[in-house]
Formats: sequence, C-alpha cells, structure tokens
Amino acid sequence: MNKFLTLRVWILLIALVLAVIAISPNPWAEGIEIVSIDPSSDAAQNGLSVGQILVSIGDQEITSLQDVSDTLVFFAYPAQDIVVKTTDEDVTYSVTNDLGFIVDENLTVIASKVNVTLGSTLLSINGEEVTNYTLFKDVYDTLIPTRMIRIETDEGLFAYLSREVLDITVGEVQKTHLVFGLDFTGGTRVLLQPVSTEEITDDDITMLIDVLGNRLNVYGLSDIQIRSAQDWAGNKFVLVELAGVTQKEVQDLISQQGKFEAKVGDTVVFEGGKESIPYVCRNDGTCSGVRSCDATASGYQCTFQFSITLSQDGAETFANATQSLDVVPAENGQKYLSKTIDFYLDGQLVDSLQIASSLKGQATTSIVISGPGFGETQSAALEDATINMNKLQTILITGSLPFDLQIVKLDSITSVLGEDFLRNVLLVAVLSFVAVSLVIFLRYRKIKIIFPILFTLASEVILILGFAAAVGWNLDMVAIAGILAAIGTGVDDQIVIIDQALSGTATSNWQQRLKRAFFIIFAAYATTVAAMIPLWNAGAGLIRGFAVTTIVGVTIGVFITRPAFATIIEKMGLQDEEK
Amino acid sequence: MKDKLKGLYSTHYKKLFFLPLVLLLLGIIILANNYLTNGDIIDKDVSLKGGTIATIYTSQEFSTLQEQLAVQFPGKEFVVQYLTEFSTGVSLGVVVEVSDIEPDALHAALEEITGLALTPENYSVEFIGGSLGESFYQQMLVAILLAFLFMAIVVFVTFRSPVPSFAVVFAAFADMVCTVAFLSLFGMQFSTAGIAAVLLLVGYSIDTDILLTTNMLRRNEAGLFEGVYRSMKTGLTMTAAAFAVMGVGYFVSSSLVIKQMFLIIIVGLCFDVIMTYGMNAGLLFWYLKKKRGSVE
Repeated sequence: MNKFLTLRVWILLIALVLAVIAISPNPWAEGIEIVSIDPSSDAAQNGLSVGQILVSIGDQEITSLQDVSDTLVFFAYPAQDIVVKTTDEDVTYSVTNDLGFIVDENLTVIASKVNVTLGSTLLSINGEEVTNYTLFKDVYDTLIPTRMIRIETDEGLFAYLSREVLDITVGEVQKTHLVFGLDFTGGTRVLLQPVSTEEITDDDITMLIDVLGNRLNVYGLSDIQIRSAQDWAGNKFVLVELAGVTQKEVQDLISQQGKFEAKVGDTVVFEGGKESIPYVCRNDGTCSGVRSCDATASGYQCTFQFSITLSQDGAETFANATQSLDVVPAENGQKYLSKTIDFYLDGQLVDSLQIASSLKGQATTSIVISGPGFGETQSAALEDATINMNKLQTILITGSLPFDLQIVKLDSITSVLGEDFLRNVLLVAVLSFVAVSLVIFLRYRKIKIIFPILFTLASEVILILGFAAAVGWNLDMVAIAGILAAIGTGVDDQIVIIDQALSGTATSNWQQRLKRAFFIIFAAYATTVAAMIPLWNAGAGLIRGFAVTTIVGVTIGVFITRPAFATIIEKMGLQDEEK
Repeated sequence: MKDKLKGLYSTHYKKLFFLPLVLLLLGIIILANNYLTNGDIIDKDVSLKGGTIATIYTSQEFSTLQEQLAVQFPGKEFVVQYLTEFSTGVSLGVVVEVSDIEPDALHAALEEITGLALTPENYSVEFIGGSLGESFYQQMLVAILLAFLFMAIVVFVTFRSPVPSFAVVFAAFADMVCTVAFLSLFGMQFSTAGIAAVLLLVGYSIDTDILLTTNMLRRNEAGLFEGVYRSMKTGLTMTAAAFAVMGVGYFVSSSLVIKQMFLIIIVGLCFDVIMTYGMNAGLLFWYLKKKRGSVE
C-alpha cells in the first residue's frame, strides 16, 4: 500500500480531507437552528448566537418552523396610545414594544423614529412628569414592562429580561454545507429589468437592491437573495430569489416602483418614504386595519385605513394646501373641505378622502390613509383589502424604487419535490459510475483497473462539491449537469493515461509516455475551458452554474486527481503485465 | 479487421473524408432550409423565444391534454411532454410549454382541464419574457462564436502547424453543425441549456481529435496507420465511456433540462467518431504523406 503514497497521491488525499471538511456532512442533524440574529439585540447580548439549535421558547417546544412563528406572536405587546410632551411639542402616537425614541441622561432626545424632535427635552409621558433619568426609566418600565424571556437551545438555557420582540430568523438544520439552488429547494425566482430612458449605472442597481431588500424585509420575508446580473449586451438585471413564496402580491411588491403621492387638488402634500413619513402604523388594530365592507353591484368592497405620522415639512405643506379651501357641509351634518385628499400609487388613484373642516390650515402630523379591496365574496374582499393595506404600508415605509421595473422572467418552483430531484441526481451519478466501470472492464478485461478509476471519479465529485461548499456556490440543475459533464471528461483523460501506460515500448519510458498523455489532457482541458468561458455572462448569468462546475471539475481533474491517478496506474505496474 | 482498416486508410484515405463532407453539406442544407422556412437555423424552445413552461407533478395521466389546450387557446402551439420515473415507468408529471400565454391564464386553463388544484406543492411554472428570450438567444449565438474562436486559438497554439490545426477545428465545426442539424430534423426545440451543451460538445469532441493528431504527427510515414489505429482504440474507448455517462444521464434523469443536454452530447459523440476518424484522419493522412514526400 505504501508504494502508492507518493506526493501526488498525498496532495489528492489532503484535498479530499479539505473538501469533506468544507461539505461537513451530518446526515443525522435535525431541528430548527438560528440562521441570523441582530447582534445588538438583547437575545444576542445574552448568549444566543447563529447556529444554535432551538429546543424551546417559553413553554413552547420547538420542532418545526411553524412552532417558532407561533411563539413570536407572544413577544409583541398590545398597542397603546401615549402622549409625549417635550420642550418642542406634544406628540400622540401608538407604541408596542418600544417608545420610539431614546433620551440621554439629561432627558435630551438623541434618537427618534417617531415624530419627537431630536434635541428637544422630554417633559412628560402620559401626563407623568419626567424630571430625571431614573424617573424616565420608571415610567418606561411601567408603560412597557420588561419580562422574563426563557429560550433553551442545544447550548443551554438562556433566561433574560427584555421588552424586545425576538428578532431572529430560523431555518431547518442543514445536513451539509452545500447550498442547493431553487431547482431543488423550491421558491420563486424573479428577474427584473429596470425600465428607464436614461442609462442605468451600477450605483442605481445597488440602490435598487437596497430598497428591494428593505421592502421584502419590512413585508416580513427573510429568506431572500437579491443580486445584480448583467449580460454582454450591457443589459442590467436584478435577480431576486425567495424561498417558498409565490403569492402574487410579492411579485407586485418587487416590480412595483411604488411612487406614492398624496395630493390636495394639484398640490403634492407628501410622498412615500422615511423622510416625509417617519412613522406608519401597522400590525396594530388601534390605528390600522380594515374598517368597513359593503356590497356593491359586482361583489364586495372593503376599505382599509391606517394612520401615519407626517414630517414637519409635510404638515406645513398640508396646512398651506388646505388654507384656501372652502368649508362645505355634507349630508350627514359633518363639515368637509371643498377638495379631497387623493392618494396615488404609481400614478393610479388609490382612494380619495374627505378632509374634516377642523383640519383647515392646520399643520397636522397625523394623517389617515385609506384604500379599497375588492372581491366576489365579503371574505375575499376583506383579504384583498388586507393584502393591499400591507403592500401600501410596506411601500410607504420603504419609499419608491429609483425606477420602474419589468418582470422579464418569473419562475416559481415547487418545494416539495426537491428531495426527489436530489435522489434522482444521485441515482444518475451511481449508475453512470457503474456504466463507466462496465465499459472499462469490457475494454481492458482487468477488474483491478476499475478501482483507481472509480476512486478518481468519486474524488472528483467530492472535490467539486467541496469547492462549491467552500465558496457557497449555488448548486442548481445546470450546475449538476456540469458536474456530470466534468465526470465524463475525467473518464476520457483516465483512458488516455491508461492507454499510454499500456503502450510500453522499449524506446519510450514511463516519463515520456506520461508527458505525452498530459500533453493531450492539457490541450483538451484548455479547449473545454475556452468553450465554457463565454457562458459566464450569457443569458443574464442563469447558466453560469454549468460553466463554473464544468471548469472547476476539469481544473480539479487536471491538476489534482489525474496526476494522482497516473501515479497509481504506474505503481500498479500494468504495463509490465501487458508485455 | 485491422488489416481492412489499414487498406482503407493507406490507399483510400481521400475517400475517407467523402462521407463527413457529405454529412456536413447535408447539415448545412438542413440548417439553411430551417433559416429560409422559419427565419432561424434552429427551432427554439420557450426559454429562447419567451413564453411559459408549466410542470404539473402528478401520477395521473392526461393523454389528451394537448388537444384540450388547443381547444382552449386556438392558434397557440403547445408542447406537452410527460415525465416518467426511470425504474418503474410510473408517471411523475407533465410539462406544458407555450409561447404568448401568461402564467396566470395557463394555470387557470390547466386547473380546469385536469380538475386538479394546482398549488406550489404540485405545480412549478417558469415564465420568460419574449424580448428576454430573444436576447438570450442572441447571446448564446455570440457565446458559440466566441467559444469556437477561443477553441481554435488553443488548438493552433497547441500544434503550431496550420494544416493539422485546421483539420481539428474543421472536424469540431462539422460535428457541431451535423449534431444541431440532425436533432432539428427530428424536431428538437433547443433550450438555453441545450445550446450550452453544444458548447460543451466542442470540448468533448476535440479530445479525440487532439489524441489522433498528436499520435500521427510524431510518427514516420510507415507508422501513420499505426498512429491512427492506436488513437482509434483509445478514442473509441473514451467515446464509449462518455457515451455510458451521458446515456445513463439521459435515460435516468427526471430533468428535461439534463435530458436535452445529454441527448445533444450523445448525438454529438456519434458524429464525432465519423468526423475524427473520417475527416480529421483523412486530412492528416493526405497532408503528412505529401509533406513527408512519400511514395505510394
């Protein structure tokens, strides 16, 4: 056995060990693990970290993804309205898990996601005077009390006081480090092309990816991959891959530019996005929800409403726009202004609301947004209204995309058959090994020659997979085809080596014959790589996987496995037997 | 057998490239005819011309699906393919391809015809916009040209001799043309992945050519046939082994993408045998005999 352990074989063995480490197979792994966690959250500060396998959260045992989302509901506090008084203003808004602003020890507001002005000094909350930081803490704790969180993972029990929502994403424990593409995991793949008359720069694409990612996160999707793609013609694309989700509204959310405008008459009062709308009420029944449903001629119509907080600039624009309007009495005795406030999304009118006469000329920061949902039945209309509301809230929070997007390719792939596909691929691999062995045996009539061939083929597959795992390459269907193709060329090269080994003549020694074999192998290698390189950007990079696995496969073959194979064949002394 | 071959190669080597040349000519005629009748040298599938590909995963069989769809969407051309499990022959599902119909409309029609509720559990759908498909196609054509160019450069650098290099490149070209023509004659609609397979064919077909050329170039005139014979033995074993891998992939795989790729390579390997040992070997024989100033 020792005679086989030359430097080349050692290189192969070391590469194999590294590949196996990269893949780190663990067929017995199961459970739900933490995939990501906000490092500044209480949970992370108290020891929870990525990779831990959840055992229980509170009283709930965790065995499925559903279990986790069931528990997350309990983390949210019921919404309550509070009145905050500062040196600058009085603000009323709704809170759940946090106040929405932070003060320093002198009670100066140093950060705020609500309409409390930065730099102002806090005076009272809900009428309770706050004169020092300890008092502030007390009021805060009474308003939103911390509570004991108990989370058990495979690394122990973590118990801590917090008022945070548990902000983690979870996933099923991976049995290997291999990343399988959408063809196997299922999900939705959307290829988007920006529609713009101006030239689109890389910065535009980066910005677009930011807004899209933010939008999908705000909408509540976590398992998202967004990347840019490009083809030779200079077309730029954005490729979005989502695990599992196939709903229509997600497609809208991705492709809709989401340019929101609220107009009074022809004056734009405010637009979507953080600058003009610092706070949007959502997931909170007191200020957001579907308010009424009515039968119409063609079915049902429901109306949703939610409140938003306007920036100071927006409030002033609103005051100016309503200043000159007339007050007109309506049939129900209420008094309204002569013009409505109209909400447009991408140029389409969503809804119009009457403006109460009391708001005339007022710099109000609290505005109610409304919109409809339609359906053949009441529940369908209700669902439609809820979906529209979520969409609009998401768009208002994240702002509009820098330009319109067109869906040029949309794949939604079933998620339940991934294992069947993988099993099929495995069967193909095993059977092709058998077929190759058969061909080799029929040709050379030597059983023992089959072993180094199978060993080399298996090594190549493991090394390719190891490479894919190490760099996080996505294995999709065409990438798998590339692996099989690389195996095919691998066999070809081994046959060249065997034949050169067997062709021993008195005039040529082993070194010369090997040199000749490798001349052929390198030339064939170079042509294969040359043929695959143009595929890198063709078709928006969607078949790049094929080119990459093929090139990686033949490269590994030429530089690692085939030199080792040649040594093994040499040491087996086949050429002597032949004579 | 060996002697017969030897007679063929030493005296009739010029006839050897007759068959490949005829095949190449036929291939070009077929592709030209495709171009004249359909405006394109090949028939493209939905991934290259835009449209919708829907897959229903079900053990039920819908043998009249194509006709029923044609009734629902008059004038549209549907391609319906059935997936079966290799070992048992059990039906796994059905794949429907069509241009100019949006996924939603197709989904509704399929639900109505099959009577199945098509959910993400049992239904996959791919949609490719028309202009995107067209641009994919243009890019794949450019990719083929580039791949061919790169390959030719590699071959010329390897052999540093114009005629043998030309022989190798020409054989690879003939192989590609004949393979694509042959498959289009049988109505294959090429996908993006299929064209990638045509590119890979360049790599697959060329190693036997390189083997042959290397073996022949280093031999004297008397040993020329020995060179052809040896590389034929090795080369045919290589082809057989590649054939085995691709054949298994074609028959066992449940992915239509992989099936098409491997079918293209299988057909390409067949033509490669003819091109390598006919055209390439014949050309080299002729060239080397001339060059080494031999007497017949």
